[in-house]
Amino acid sequence: MNVGVDVGGTFTDAVLLENNKVRTTAKVPTKKDLLESVLEAIDIVLEGVNTKDLKRIVFSTTMITNLIAERKYENVALLLIPGPGLAHESYNFGTTVHILSGAIDYRGREIIPLDDREVESTLADLSRLGCRRVCVVGKFSPRNTTHEKRVADIIKKKYPAWKIDLGSMIGGQLNFPRRVTTTYLTSATREPYHQFINSVRQALAIREIDADVFILKADGGTMPLANAEELPVETIFSGPAASTLGVQALIPPGETAVVVDIGGTTTDLALILSGQPLLSSKGARVENQLTQVRTLAVKSVPVGGDSALQQDGKGLIIGTGRLGPAYCMGGPAPTPTDALRVLGLTELGDPLKAEEAMTDLGEALNLSARDTAGKVIEMVVERISSEVNNMFLDWEQEPAYLVWEVLQKKKVRPSLVAGVGGGASGFISQIAAKLGCDPFIPPYAPVANAIGAAVARPTMQVSLRADTEQGYFIIREEGFQGKLKDRHFNENKALVLAKEKLMQRAAKYGLVVEPEEIETTHREVFNMIRDWTTTGRLIDITVQTPRGIIGRVLKGDE
Amino acid sequence: MKKRNYKQTGLIFFPAFDWAISPTHPEREERLLYTRDQIFEEGIMDLPQILEFTASLASIHDIARTHFCVPRVEDQTIEAHLIAAGAAILLAERIVKGQIENGFALVRPPGHHAMRVVHGNRGFCNINNEAIMVEYLRSRYGIKRVAIVDTDVHHGDGTQNIFWHDPDVLFISFHQDGRTIFPGTGFTYELGGPRAFARTINIPLQPGTSDESLLYVVDNLILPILKEFKPDFIVNSAGQDNHFTDPLGSMRVSAQGYAKLTEKLRPDLAVLEGGYAIETALPYVNMAIILALAGLDYTNIREPDYWSGRFKESPDRSGQVRKLVDQMLHYWHVRDQMPPDSRYIRGQFYERNNRIFYDTDYIEERQLERLKLCDHCPGYLSIESYANHGLGKSGKVKCLSVPFTTCEKCRSEAIEAYHQAKKRGIYRYVYLQDKSADIFFGYDTGSGKEWQSEG
Repeated sequence: MNVGVDVGGTFTDAVLLENNKVRTTAKVPTKKDLLESVLEAIDIVLEGVNTKDLKRIVFSTTMITNLIAERKYENVALLLIPGPGLAHESYNFGTTVHILSGAIDYRGREIIPLDDREVESTLADLSRLGCRRVCVVGKFSPRNTTHEKRVADIIKKKYPAWKIDLGSMIGGQLNFPRRVTTTYLTSATREPYHQFINSVRQALAIREIDADVFILKADGGTMPLANAEELPVETIFSGPAASTLGVQALIPPGETAVVVDIGGTTTDLALILSGQPLLSSKGARVENQLTQVRTLAVKSVPVGGDSALQQDGKGLIIGTGRLGPAYCMGGPAPTPTDALRVLGLTELGDPLKAEEAMTDLGEALNLSARDTAGKVIEMVVERISSEVNNMFLDWEQEPAYLVWEVLQKKKVRPSLVAGVGGGASGFISQIAAKLGCDPFIPPYAPVANAIGAAVARPTMQVSLRADTEQGYFIIREEGFQGKLKDRHFNENKALVLAKEKLMQRAAKYGLVVEPEEIETTHREVFNMIRDWTTTGRLIDITVQTPRGIIGRVLKGDE
Repeated sequence: MKKRNYKQTGLIFFPAFDWAISPTHPEREERLLYTRDQIFEEGIMDLPQILEFTASLASIHDIARTHFCVPRVEDQTIEAHLIAAGAAILLAERIVKGQIENGFALVRPPGHHAMRVVHGNRGFCNINNEAIMVEYLRSRYGIKRVAIVDTDVHHGDGTQNIFWHDPDVLFISFHQDGRTIFPGTGFTYELGGPRAFARTINIPLQPGTSDESLLYVVDNLILPILKEFKPDFIVNSAGQDNHFTDPLGSMRVSAQGYAKLTEKLRPDLAVLEGGYAIETALPYVNMAIILALAGLDYTNIREPDYWSGRFKESPDRSGQVRKLVDQMLHYWHVRDQMPPDSRYIRGQFYERNNRIFYDTDYIEERQLERLKLCDHCPGYLSIESYANHGLGKSGKVKCLSVPFTTCEKCRSEAIEAYHQAKKRGIYRYVYLQDKSADIFFGYDTGSGKEWQSEG
């Protein structure tokens, strides 16, 4: 038996799966005390269940996203080593930034050394300002970690109490500004995240649950609770990942679908291409900050069931904010939910109040309540459908750097529109009609996110870069840099080495991976030619444990 | 979503990591690898001032508008060429439509050595990306006047050849003196055809020229000429082999020099040409050009082995450059007073003989080029081309080109000449490129088959 728990801002949802079928579900309001909410939700689904039969329990949370949105995190100082390139004035991250001398190039060669005395005087300044947390981030640091590590060593010696995060350990891809942001957010959210993890641990201890515990990541994979604290930012945006995986588990396999999660003020869109959720080619955007966090490609449209509606004498306008609940539920302003109520597309709320909201709204435009409601629905449907089309267009227009990639580009459109979330039922059939798709409201749609958490699988990746000319290799995820002793090191040996490292890393996290299951997601080899002869090879390989879900969730009669 | 009230710089980065002329050739997979690393690491694609596009393929028709490919376009191009040309077209179109401020097609393979008639690859080029883009803009958007400034260390002889007789396309190239480097042309006396005098301007510079002289040429020659010519669209053939570390060139220009050049020139579209110092120059120069186009601060870009003041220009060289600039300005000023050189006039035609060597494919081509001297239009062009491939594949072809702004008489004469040539049987292939009607014909004498392409 598996349990999935989604701790959202408003509700905490839970499901219990047994033999790929939903046995019980729970939806409780999220309280200030997270421990209390978690306990309440799992108690409902575990009623009458022997906790010894529980194999695993997976948590997903929007807590980190909310913390970042509200800027409720700790003060962090950034020590950057950018070297030549973009003007240093452009490195503005909304917190204290100190620039250190030193530079590494694209091959990982040192081009400007660190200045230890400058480092020490900068640290002294920070100390006077009462700094306790620092991030050390260098340009090209994933290609050579020595500068970052040297600064960390100096800090450890002089200020052993400081918490240090290194860019090369957290943002291993090529993108310095995103590496800085990712490292910064990691450092800033460590403490509150630690408290969340503790609440989960306590809840499980109190109920004597000793199943395997995982946390859902933004890319739809999971990581063991024990290791989650290493990279808290990986869990941002796991909300959309949860509902997308939930839909993936509930639709026929191999289907191309768009997941439309209509909430109160926003509608989240995600794509499932031939049965697999689409990953974003770039990292997650968190509150307008660009990160390197691997995430599903999700898009948030500022339209939802509670969006405030207005008219300007010429037509209707959908506001971007929420003034409160729908008018028919006692709120202050007309909303799309009122329109749904008037047209009989939902049973929620007071029909007379909904009528009143639509009548008032349409009055200046000489529209009846029903016509106004029709127009509102049309506008919402139009807005969401065009955003779905844009998403497919964006995906098609993603840059390609190889000839065959450009030739591969093709047009793909969904066949299913899967609706989840509170507002889904009233809109989905019309959005689907607009897009020429079949509408689909999965069973258990209100708790699809908890189902997604329950079916998520652990994922892990290892990226190896070898530079045979310089005779070194790097394992990006571990910040490990080693010498290449084998003079005949080549692509195949690199692949074997990467797989070995992945299995070792997986074992450390308590995961068992079979070599034949390992997927190679990136493979790039360049011969280096200098003066017409091959002097070395640059090999980049990324391997990962298989993505996907543990299985489809079957309906009662399947 | 990037939404700005200023227009962005469009960028197509197409490194063609799976295409090379041959494994050890300078034009190989690795060429833009370190450039990629640098611009990705700097987060250039995330900057609000930058908008990245995906390349799309140019059509066979777009190539036929500019080139006579022998025997057919499909035989001289592979997908990589179509993508590079397509990238230039895509960005140019966005610029003309006002969707982006300017653009940089950071693409390979390059193109500026490809001439109007194409028998093979020369100077690493098969088709001319900039020329194809320019002809596309003129055909689809009615763009009238275009300036192409070629800043590669090698003379842009292909582009010069294509626009030699075209009074509406100004071609300016500065480069290392042709006596010291491929392709051995680009001298001051190469000034364009009789109806386009001084619409070709060549500025051969001595090996060892650095930023200072280069920028002197820009300020005192190129910018004043551009100001008078008033182009609707400015293209920069942005070769990066004037860099002080380039293995093929011998100049001493820095990334800062390239940035300043770009900032002064303000091209609508820059298209990458050569540049083979793949580690020591390209990552820095490409970034410098991008930042300059986007109006961003580039002053912190610095090659590891560069320091300000490293290359001092000798007073001798500065003096020579000044003289050269004055000489070229003179030609520019008298451009509309120069009658055609009577030695080359045969009846109603202006004739010249061209000998063209294809270094990559080792082909020797001989051309007789005849321009109809017309009082009402730039005149149609008739080219007889004989290519010696050394291995028996040799033969003669006839090419007729009708300009965009042709008069009806020239057009019907060219069409008549095409039909005559088809009948004569001495040409392996006969071509008619009618730019005014955007229809292109080809005829294979051996099989008696004709083909045509329409937009």
